[in-house]
Amino acid sequence: MNDIPEAAELLAIARSTLLDKLLPRLPDELRYDALMIANAMVIAAREHAAGDKAAHAGLARLSALLAERNEPLASAELISARADLNRRLATAIRAGRFDDKDRAALLDHLAQTAADELAVSNPRALES
Amino acid sequence: MNLDAADTRARLETFLRAAAGADAVHIRKLHRLSGGAVQENWALDADMAGGTHPGPHQWVLRTDAAARVAASLGRSDEFHILQFAHAARLHAPEPLWLCRDLAVTGREFFIMQRLPGIASGHRVTREAALVPDRALLARELAENLARLHAIKPPQPKLAFLATTLARDNIAHYRKYLDELPAAHPALEWGLRWCEVHAPREEEATFIHRDYRTGNYLVHEGRLAGVLDWEFAAFGNPLEDVGWIFAKCWRFAAKARPAGGIAEAAEFLEPYQRASRRAVTPAALVYWQVMAHIRWAIIALQQAQRHLSGDERSLELALTGRIVAELEYEIVALTRKVMSNV
Repeated sequence: MNDIPEAAELLAIARSTLLDKLLPRLPDELRYDALMIANAMVIAAREHAAGDKAAHAGLARLSALLAERNEPLASAELISARADLNRRLATAIRAGRFDDKDRAALLDHLAQTAADELAVSNPRALES
Repeated sequence: MNLDAADTRARLETFLRAAAGADAVHIRKLHRLSGGAVQENWALDADMAGGTHPGPHQWVLRTDAAARVAASLGRSDEFHILQFAHAARLHAPEPLWLCRDLAVTGREFFIMQRLPGIASGHRVTREAALVPDRALLARELAENLARLHAIKPPQPKLAFLATTLARDNIAHYRKYLDELPAAHPALEWGLRWCEVHAPREEEATFIHRDYRTGNYLVHEGRLAGVLDWEFAAFGNPLEDVGWIFAKCWRFAAKARPAGGIAEAAEFLEPYQRASRRAVTPAALVYWQVMAHIRWAIIALQQAQRHLSGDERSLELALTGRIVAELEYEIVALTRKVMSNV
């Protein structure tokens, strides 16, 4: 058990202080800014909590789609590996290589990737 | 830029006096209206003595913000579109004077009539009391859009407007994607799907290109004005229909297909009747896909303004985080294999 507040705890208490204590006393023209700050904080908190899991899973799916060998990567290399494979996937899609037989697998990957990101940026969008 | 600084206000009064040939102009009120990362709108209340417009006035001063977006027209072009649209009775606010002299406020601006009503997409889709008869508002929006789409090129007063049909859009959006630092497979998929399903033939009419909830005024439950004409062009009229139906523009009422306001038929029936144009289910899907792609690219460009340091802004940064929702919808819309549009 940790007895020093960590990132997630700090973000949570800072956000609720903003909403409960500051927002009611802000002039109208600053309300939108305050709500955007609260939104940015909750997205950052969710992103931090989510960790690398979705990124690793996304990389595995990308590798499969592009018939690449999926090798386990350290977090630091994860971002550039995904960026590289995303670029290759984008090029292949534009060239029509996913029009027919690999279409379903592509759509599953794109849907999962978007859903994983939505879980961080706007989970309510997944409910409707 | 603070338009409300004392010396700026004085220069504005001088400009207005000359523009209206007035003996005197006094600006009673000048304050920023909410909304718009790409342009600034200021409410301007003024009293004029003599000249072409004597009396008290409620106007809007519209000027560039820093965050210009590719394909949005400058103030001068938008002013000429407003003149055209107002004359064509399309619910556009009456444009009064265009100022291209940067010495007045530091940027180009124009003055237009301030129409009554509420534009806020969140309020109009959430507060039932604002729209007691949603089918009526949908019909007014549809019939106004049909009138807009009755205008065909060429139009001498709109000679500066580009024409952009489905395949042109696809080419532009691919170019914009190529300019961004990262790749976006879901948007590439949407564009490829649009390419494969592109309509064989298209007509080109005057189109608004931002005709949606949030960009029209509701006053006493009725359509009172259409705003934000800066993206207008010649193109496929179905593009405007797809835009107002797009889920991303339904605000608090995602389950109401027509602008978050009404059922599909409540818009489509009056639109088809007034325009004598059919909107097939396939076309509605196609142009909603196109709408989501277009908004996603604009969102990425706005996020890029922040990330590049050109304009550091929380609003621009957060706009980048909406792209996943747009991609999710593009995948959902394109999952079904469709016959040609």
